[in-house]
Amino acid sequence: MSALIEVPARFDEASFEQFAAGYAASKGEAKVIVDAHACEWISPYGLAALLAGGQALAERGGARPLLTVPGDKDVCHFWARMGFFTHAKELYELHGTVPRVKAGSSNVLLEVTPVRQAEDVHTVVHHIQEKSVEILTGELGLDPKGTLGFGMALSEACQNIVEHAGTGGWVAVHAYSWRKLGKRVVVIGVADAGVGFRSTLEPTQANRFGERWGDGAALEAALLHSVSRFRDPGRGQGLAGIRRYVGRWKGKISIRSGTARIAIIPEWDQDVPLEENLAPFPGAQVQIVIPAEAEPAR
Amino acid sequence: MIKQIDVRSVLARLGPDRPDLVTRPTGRAVRSSIEAELSRLSGRKIIVLDFTSVRTMDCSCADEIVAKLIQAYLVTEMPLPLDAFFLVKGLDEHQVEDLDEVLRRQRLALVAESAGVVRLIGDVAEQARIAFEHLALRGRAAAQELADELAWTLDDARAALDELALRHLVMLESGHYLPPTAAA
Repeated sequence: MSALIEVPARFDEASFEQFAAGYAASKGEAKVIVDAHACEWISPYGLAALLAGGQALAERGGARPLLTVPGDKDVCHFWARMGFFTHAKELYELHGTVPRVKAGSSNVLLEVTPVRQAEDVHTVVHHIQEKSVEILTGELGLDPKGTLGFGMALSEACQNIVEHAGTGGWVAVHAYSWRKLGKRVVVIGVADAGVGFRSTLEPTQANRFGERWGDGAALEAALLHSVSRFRDPGRGQGLAGIRRYVGRWKGKISIRSGTARIAIIPEWDQDVPLEENLAPFPGAQVQIVIPAEAEPAR
Repeated sequence: MIKQIDVRSVLARLGPDRPDLVTRPTGRAVRSSIEAELSRLSGRKIIVLDFTSVRTMDCSCADEIVAKLIQAYLVTEMPLPLDAFFLVKGLDEHQVEDLDEVLRRQRLALVAESAGVVRLIGDVAEQARIAFEHLALRGRAAAQELADELAWTLDDARAALDELALRHLVMLESGHYLPPTAAA
């Protein structure tokens, strides 16, 4: 039998749950079709998560998953310019016409980039600092000091994959208008289909949390209490660094792992701090949002 | 007396010349290289870690380079030929804030200099911090002078200064305490 996972028409962090539910429901099916035909818009988080989904499906075994590319020509061109298909073709059997376009566009700060080892993190940070400072400071009005911290936050988000996922992942960075906020934002999307926070922290934290232990508790421990699987007290500070950065710039970070999602919510957003009992999805998916023209919080 | 280490130059010797200190492996490599340089030194030295030409420093590198250097040289019971007083300079406000958190978490502290002003970052008792700030303004002082100027008892002043000296945050010379830059 085959299963169909629909890619939402607007695929971002908010609609990811629809995709995750489809992924969970497809378990045990011999053939999985991921249908992005009706997708009209996708965020960097959506692109990275779609690749993580392909990786997770591939690791389940069975037939190679099939991905139907967006039917809208402009949307499909955008995916191509984001470099998505370059990586997707290694995970999915692609159905539909994939345009041959040169990667890159004016509002793409970082195309979809694989992160497998420390050197990849250097490449990502170097690219952002060299190529994108003008967009971050000019178009988006970020303070030049904010761009340095942006590199730090990006580095730590990517290192999470290298250090903890046990597999590779993807990162993408994009600037666009955030309807809820009524201004432009820079969005970092990072996703992997690795072991996730719970498995990473279980050997050292499960006993401490007792019956409360689960994906939500693991995310709380990592993001709010900077707990690491390592006994070295110097470890576990990456997420704390990101938290400080988003706090300074009135930004937002959210992390989904397993069946839970946690968020640090700025004044301008009305998200929930912790959601549990979500559809299971492997690895970790991180989104960082920095609003344009943000003055650092005092 | 003073050993200046341009951290960007150390990084450049290790691979592609990039101004970004990111990832733990990079931090470890930079620290090893600095340790090799320090192993050739002996006696009392102010070690200035100069980050002026560094663009990005993430928390992993702050820990691997700065925090672990302090641990290796100052939080050890082993006698070392080098009597090191570490000082960082060239970090921007946000980088100082990040480094401060990295150090606090490990109960470490360090002298940081920016725009000619020295200050303590990391985990230090309030009394010791006040004593350091006074020394930073004054230059050098004996325990009695500090006690008189801050209206503390001599025992309190001595305790605060001795804590700073023990942690190599101030230097003790002929009964006077002074912050590392004052001696530079």
